Amino acid sequence: MNAPARIAIIGMGAISAIGEDVSSNHQSLRTSSPGIGPIRHLDTPHRGRLLVGEVDIANDELAERLEIPANEAYTRSTLLALLAAREATAGIDLGDGNRTGLISATTVGGMDATERYYDDYLVSETHRHFIPTHPCGYSTEQMARYLGVTDFVTTISTACSSAANAIMLGARMIRAGLLDRAIVGGTDCLSRFTVNGFNSLMIYTDGYCRPFDEHRSGLNLGEAAAYLVLERSEPAARQSKTPMAYLSGYGHANDAFHQTASSEDGEGAYLAMKQALEVAGLEASAIDYINAHGTATPNNDLAEGQALLRIFGNVQSIPPFSSTKAFTGHTLAAAGAIEAVFSVLALQHQEIFANLNFSHPIAALGIVPQTTLLSTAINHVLSNSFGFGGNCSSLLFSSAHD
Amino acid sequence: MIEPIYIHGKGGISIQPTTEPDYFFDRILPYTQNPIPACDPDYKALIPPLQLRRMNKSMRMAIFTSQLALQEANRTTVDAVITGSGLGCLRDSERFVEALLADERQALNPTPFIQSTHNMAAAAIALALKCKGYNMTYINNANSFESALLDGMVYLSEHPDDTILLGAVDELGERTTEFWNIAEYLKHDAPAIPTPLPLRAAAAPGEIAAEGATFFVASRQPGASAIGKVTAVETCLEADNPTTFVSRFLQKNGLDAPAIDAVLLGYNGDSRYDDSYRTVAQALFAETPCVGFKHVLGEFDTVIAAALALALQILNKQRIPATVQLSGPQPQELTRLLIYTQRRGKNHGVMLVER
Repeated sequence: MNAPARIAIIGMGAISAIGEDVSSNHQSLRTSSPGIGPIRHLDTPHRGRLLVGEVDIANDELAERLEIPANEAYTRSTLLALLAAREATAGIDLGDGNRTGLISATTVGGMDATERYYDDYLVSETHRHFIPTHPCGYSTEQMARYLGVTDFVTTISTACSSAANAIMLGARMIRAGLLDRAIVGGTDCLSRFTVNGFNSLMIYTDGYCRPFDEHRSGLNLGEAAAYLVLERSEPAARQSKTPMAYLSGYGHANDAFHQTASSEDGEGAYLAMKQALEVAGLEASAIDYINAHGTATPNNDLAEGQALLRIFGNVQSIPPFSSTKAFTGHTLAAAGAIEAVFSVLALQHQEIFANLNFSHPIAALGIVPQTTLLSTAINHVLSNSFGFGGNCSSLLFSSAHD
Repeated sequence: MIEPIYIHGKGGISIQPTTEPDYFFDRILPYTQNPIPACDPDYKALIPPLQLRRMNKSMRMAIFTSQLALQEANRTTVDAVITGSGLGCLRDSERFVEALLADERQALNPTPFIQSTHNMAAAAIALALKCKGYNMTYINNANSFESALLDGMVYLSEHPDDTILLGAVDELGERTTEFWNIAEYLKHDAPAIPTPLPLRAAAAPGEIAAEGATFFVASRQPGASAIGKVTAVETCLEADNPTTFVSRFLQKNGLDAPAIDAVLLGYNGDSRYDDSYRTVAQALFAETPCVGFKHVLGEFDTVIAAALALALQILNKQRIPATVQLSGPQPQELTRLLIYTQRRGKNHGVMLVER
């Protein structure tokens, strides 16, 4: 199979528990400074008990930074998204006549407002202007208006693989000739809905998450938003924006095994990675770093590890890999986008970021993640995102240096 | 290059008895309420009882209608599943919010949380069919099915030998309906199905909320079984001028208005927003038969999928049921239909369906 033209990444923006923009996220990754800690903003009885990756900025201040009037209803996911998307599109003329699409991913949507005003809406008019913000699509529509995107707007919600799928759709639509440029990514704020959801599933750790550790006991949730700007290679050159990296492959498969759990042999994950390599026209041996999904739930890390062993053949052949979830927490629909940004940073700076909180390899696998910052030659990075419903995606990013 | 996709089977659940074999809108179930739940078929006929018990309404509607579509297409499996839903699994979302508001310190039942996930209908189909292929869910208000359809067309251009399930599902939620009511989306004054649709000046504000699911089996091959084809789809979040949006769409597809044998318009009797249909009809389709669908199916984000099913039926039967024809003559021959819809003045969607 011939590898089709690569997709250029010409802009990116990110906000997470470890930084308010791409460079501050990078600084935290380089210095192995995680952002997981006690709950400060989310109003829940779990405050003081569960640890999260929270963005330490209140909604009012986010709105102020975006110059959004105080009386307009924007939920937290949208506010985070706008900050990241504004950074991603800075210096790019979206009105230059190129067909531009916005493809955003979210699972929380406006649920944080709905859960807050669920009974209040019925009795008081004060917050009723938030009623329309509930649907996931509403957030994307607000973004489109703010950014001035009119050619194509859509929203993907496939649980924790959502943003990876948004990135993939952007690339596919550009390749199909339907768009010239795509702003792609995802956003999810913390909510009582999701914190309680994962807690009720008994996969929320009492402490700090420990991806790929034998004694891992679940995830920490986080909140984040990240967006990338994709273009076909030629217009990227024409706009004289130097690509930061290329998206050269992507794959998607369904595990078709269970509503929430991954199959033991990581079939969906295996198929997604295999396809990403095929689309890029690369052998597994060309991969220099894997940004793993690595949620630190017992099930995910075992299944993902099995899939890595199947793709690379044996323990020795697996390139350096790490999960950055111990920095940011699991940011659900944003995870695939924030980790895409981290993958591009790895390529730009030729650095592999640490898998924190690891001490003992999973006995059944024997695989050991990269636990410290590593400077090394990196040309190709795989980034995995897996979600409920068996939804498995893998993206392949390649260096712009070659 | 995006090319037409052929539809080989369809299945639909709605507030009309669309699951009955050969049902073709000649008999309309009347309603005088708002919202209106979908007619439940005998789900057990196509879903094993043990699985059925664990499925929420979206999941069971999606599984049932995808099975109907597969049966009509004479298939047992597909290579990919692509779905759209405006709001996802609302009832389980409401259930989980209510449980956590009641007592967040309690150990909560995780099932509503799991099944509130927006992609659960597509996932349930993948599980039921053991389909490990591409599986996608669009949650994009009233343009959710159009996004799924567009993705399906891109997917089939990448995988020309594959066969896919394309569909949409939306369920009503009790509390959510109350919220929509507070937000003044819903019709209060004499809600009725069929909704009276004065074509010149609509009467009262508000829409009639309903629910439903429609699934299709699609591929790039016409084969012997194709029941029609979709040649193009386009969406627009906000259209300053709906007529320009529709005529540009026709132009891009090398057509003019007279090339359309009948136009399906999303009139729902909401005096605030039906003008866009009147404008488009008067400007472009004054001589063309106009067909309605929301006045018999109600309004929900993915009702355009049900309109596509109706369009395919019209093409195959070569007639427009009197209950859905709003204006114009009964056409001699029906080969090309256009569907245009929007919701609350945004999420404009347009689709070309051919024999």
